[in-house]
Amino acid sequence: MNDITDNAIMTALGRQMTKAVAREAVSAGNLANIDTPGYHAREATFNDALDEELGQTAATVTEVAGLPARRDGNNVQLDRELLTLSRASSDFSAAQTALAAKFRLVRYAINEGR
Amino acid sequence: MSTLFSALNASASALEAQRARMEVATSNIANSDSTRGANGQPYRRRDVVLSTQPADSFAAALGKTDAVGVKVTGIVEDQTPFRTRYEPSHPDADGQGFVAMPNVDVPEEMVNMLGAARAYQANLNAIGLIRDTMQRALDLGK
Repeated sequence: MNDITDNAIMTALGRQMTKAVAREAVSAGNLANIDTPGYHAREATFNDALDEELGQTAATVTEVAGLPARRDGNNVQLDRELLTLSRASSDFSAAQTALAAKFRLVRYAINEGR
Repeated sequence: MSTLFSALNASASALEAQRARMEVATSNIANSDSTRGANGQPYRRRDVVLSTQPADSFAAALGKTDAVGVKVTGIVEDQTPFRTRYEPSHPDADGQGFVAMPNVDVPEEMVNMLGAARAYQANLNAIGLIRDTMQRALDLGK
């Protein structure tokens, strides 16, 4: 049986939160530039699971391919960015809820079950 | 947390930019009949120029998850020709009775204002979501 802090789960949850924040920030940047001529929508992509196991969570930011550009060369889509934002926000909330539960468990043990 | 702050700053810069667009559209509508501007000419329609902030190349920003903001880099005058209207009694009419009117198209400005208002709302929405995320992160310390 694992020890109560369960490091692997804690790390995974932390990673999920970091990823959600990165996606949220890139999306907020896209939304801010919805009227900037020539701006191309960006997205955060992440390394695969093996890299993560080796401790590398660095996100890379790339331009989204295949979005039709408007006449001013901008291809930011309002609904797409809002969706990414709220999805990332819920992802963060989910991980935070699980992590908070984990912390509560540790605190419970520290307080000898009181 | 710094990524979240950069996202918050980007959204705030967008609010500022969209408000500037709204103000320019409003002054265009207000002056759609002003035949005498500061230089004696009819009013010329104005437009805001937006650019990314910081204005680094895409290559430099690659791999960084910091949000890019937006900035009003200038307000330019629209150089399309003035509209003319036949109105011989107008004090600014030329010899043939034509008056040069501002090159403002009111419906176009209304559409611009709608676009700016919607973009403002979207960015306000984004700020709300980012603030929620920050609050959730802080709740972990409770």
